[in-house]
Amino acid sequence: MARESRSEVLRGAIDLLVLKTLALEPMHGWGIGQRIEQISGGELLVRQGSLYPALQRLEHAGLIESEWGPSESNRRARYYSLTRAGRRALEKETESWRRFAAAIEVVLETT
Amino acid sequence: MSLMKGLKARLTSIFRPRAAESRMEEELRFHLEMEIDKNIRAGMPPGEARRRAMISFGGLDGHREAMRDGRGARLVGDLGRDMRVALRGLARNPGFAAVAVLTVGIGVGATTAVFSAVDAVLLRPLPFAEPGRLVELDEIVIPYHTEGREYPKSRPYITDARALTDTFTDVAAYAPGGMNLGGLGTPRRIRVGVVTANFLSALGVRPLLGRDFTADEEVPGAPPVALVSYGLWGTAMGADPDAVGRAITLNGHTHEVVGVMPRGFAFPDEAEVWLPMSIPITSATFDAFRQYIPSRLVARLAPGVTIEQARSRARALLAPYEQPDRPVEATPAELVRPLHRSLVGNGGTELLVLLGVTALVLLVASTNVANLLLSRAVARRHEIALRSMLGASSFRLIRQLLAESSLLALLGGAAGVAVAVMGAQLLNTLVPSALSGAAPIRVDIRVLGFALAVAVTTGLAFGLWPALAARRTSAAGALKGGGAGPGGDTETSRLRRLCVVGEVALALMLLIGSSLMLRSLHRLLSTESGLQPEGVATLELTLARADYPTTAARRQFYEGVLDRLRRNPQVVAAAAINELPLRGQWGVAFLVYPEGARPERDHLQYAQDLRVTPEYFRTMGIRILQGRPPGPRPAGTEVGEVAINEALADAYWPGQSPIGARLQWQNDMLYEIVGVVSNVRPGSLDDEVIPQAYYSLLDTPYDNAALVARGRIPAEDLTGVLQEAVRAVAPGQAVYNVRTMEEVIAGTIAPRHTRTALITTFGLVALCLAAVGVYGVIAFGVARRTREIGIRLALGANPRRVIGGVVAEGLLLALAGTVPGLAGAWMLSRYLESLVYGVSTTDPVAFTAAPVALLAIATLAALVPAWRASRINAVEAMRVE
Repeated sequence: MARESRSEVLRGAIDLLVLKTLALEPMHGWGIGQRIEQISGGELLVRQGSLYPALQRLEHAGLIESEWGPSESNRRARYYSLTRAGRRALEKETESWRRFAAAIEVVLETT
Repeated sequence: MSLMKGLKARLTSIFRPRAAESRMEEELRFHLEMEIDKNIRAGMPPGEARRRAMISFGGLDGHREAMRDGRGARLVGDLGRDMRVALRGLARNPGFAAVAVLTVGIGVGATTAVFSAVDAVLLRPLPFAEPGRLVELDEIVIPYHTEGREYPKSRPYITDARALTDTFTDVAAYAPGGMNLGGLGTPRRIRVGVVTANFLSALGVRPLLGRDFTADEEVPGAPPVALVSYGLWGTAMGADPDAVGRAITLNGHTHEVVGVMPRGFAFPDEAEVWLPMSIPITSATFDAFRQYIPSRLVARLAPGVTIEQARSRARALLAPYEQPDRPVEATPAELVRPLHRSLVGNGGTELLVLLGVTALVLLVASTNVANLLLSRAVARRHEIALRSMLGASSFRLIRQLLAESSLLALLGGAAGVAVAVMGAQLLNTLVPSALSGAAPIRVDIRVLGFALAVAVTTGLAFGLWPALAARRTSAAGALKGGGAGPGGDTETSRLRRLCVVGEVALALMLLIGSSLMLRSLHRLLSTESGLQPEGVATLELTLARADYPTTAARRQFYEGVLDRLRRNPQVVAAAAINELPLRGQWGVAFLVYPEGARPERDHLQYAQDLRVTPEYFRTMGIRILQGRPPGPRPAGTEVGEVAINEALADAYWPGQSPIGARLQWQNDMLYEIVGVVSNVRPGSLDDEVIPQAYYSLLDTPYDNAALVARGRIPAEDLTGVLQEAVRAVAPGQAVYNVRTMEEVIAGTIAPRHTRTALITTFGLVALCLAAVGVYGVIAFGVARRTREIGIRLALGANPRRVIGGVVAEGLLLALAGTVPGLAGAWMLSRYLESLVYGVSTTDPVAFTAAPVALLAIATLAALVPAWRASRINAVEAMRVE
């Protein structure tokens, strides 16, 4: 089924989304993309080209870690999970994102 | 903790790229399969599911690129790729590569070789413990106790300096000398360091085997001991692990070896043996020396003491000894000098000038290579333009070009290091003699690091600019092909001409420098030495006290050898002298004046003290102006004979003959003047003329002497005759410095010779490079205008005029470089002040000859393409486009 409205996800936001998704439970890359798409009701579609680099970025920064595990279909998949630093970063980033979004609201209201 | 995990992940991706790659592959493949599964579950047929999945996936390569970009490993991989491409490019043009690598190699090699000398002499700290705390002391002497006679104390003794324990922790003395090593096969002359017992501990050096000297070995009459060098231990004692306790024979005396020094220690003067110096010095101490002991004092500053404090202490120590007629002329700064600087003396400036010269050569070489690269980049501008249009970022293009130039630079650097290693040995003559033994010239890590830095900087410098210039070439214009033609557009052409002008200017400066050096050398060699060295052979020897204890014994030796030489039909004349002229340094001069008429202090003359046998002047070709040579003192009189040189005669007896007058020596002995001889330069050709007095050697037969002979056979063969004569009279006698008189003189000018040879070589190299540069630019200019010239010739233009035009172009370029070259040489030549002799640094001959030579070569360089231009076939030319 074709979806009409798809928007690109802002690059900085993708990190936050990944962290949030992994806060619920460890997941593999494809699963993360699917989850984000589902929870946002189709509004946020993460391209594979942005997802995997983001995962690598977060892993290099020490915010998530990964290891091999069996998938639902019993294939080998790479599962990602939050590290302690990742959890802290998630809180901080969520806070600043909320502030940012509120500020934009204000500007849009007063014009 | 998390950071560590992150770091580990990052490092893995860089250093184990294949593992990271395969992991990525697997992840992406899993993702694709999940996407396909999803499509299938949504109802698509498998083929469609796969197709849709692939489309939404967007191609694996893009992902790979994006991931790799994120990895940062991309940079390393790209560099490797760029290098490989660069290597292939160079392999395709081996001629260009060879020329470029050679040129860079010359520049880097010359600079590195000279730097290795600069590093050894100036930069590397002395190989002693905490060398910054070591100083040399002046105006402090070692007391003298010769049989019976005591000398009045006019300067503080070393013992007084040692008493300043709060200023110096150690005060030691050393003196480089030589002795005959006997008892081991052929007798050999070796270098000996006579040192106080605390010398090694003052320097912080400990023996490898055995022990250092003890304080009671510094007392006169102590049992004779010795320390041997690592090298001597190997060659003369077979690296015997039980060498300690064995005996060696020096000048006929046995010394017990008490220790072996570590490998590489050879201070002072590349010593092979060290003997303790007794305090006070006695006549036995002179065993290792000629007329005087060249002692130097070295001290270690006590902790926390500054050199300024030491200076004021030394000045205070000196104060009580100041006499009105012998004031202390040394400033406090000269009294206590940092050891390294003191040993280097003036040698440092000369080396730095040489380094500056090599930097110029490097500049010329780099400009040449830059020009080469630029012409190559221009030739490839089609390719570059195409790549840029196809999406290669300009950063990548520049990086590719830089990779090429870096590769050239590294290859050239490697070639340069080879040059430097070979050349470093030749530079040994440039090390100041006081430093020898403590500053060996080596191509070590530091020098290699310097070579690398120079190569890389050069590579970036001559690579960056053509790379930027090539980038600016407009893509459209390049692809059109017309317009500029194969010579490049006007802007790059102008740039290249500018480069060549610069090269010519630099080459001219180097040529002028070389001319100045060559003229100096010529001046020096044609200086009147005062004697005729051609055909004269010499050798030096030291008679050991043990074998020749009396005056009579020594006299007998000299008479015996000279007699034997006289009877040889191949020998025309033979003689002995206490000290050879023109061997570098000279010995002592004593106060002399006409009998009973001691002049005022300002008119006192000190005459070089020379002792000769009567045949000496005839052997050496020294002119006897009046009278005859001095002979032994006639029986029954106390007055000996002396021949004086012109300088002394003119000083005391101007305008009259001094023959018959008497000379008073050292307020003491009297000599009758029997002859006047012409002046002989004492130590080297650039020494001033000094008063000289020749006394009879047989009256006072010294134990150090040189034998000289002039013969009917070549001087090299005559040296063998000399050696044979000594062997016949005294089979165990060691001789040394067996050489012709011409070699003796050449030895003194060796450093100057080396420097001149170096600078002249550099000048010629720069000239060649500049000529190649001129050729290159002119040739490309001709290529650019091939069509135009072809048409002109076809229309009947005189080929000679074409040649003339092209040559004129080249000449103009060279002239444009000559002007700044002359100006630069004018301003910089003053730095050569210390290196030239007998010519001014703005010598007109040098300043005219060099430009003329340069212009001539430039004309020749332009002639080749000019001649080719005149042979352009018009029809062919039109087909080029």
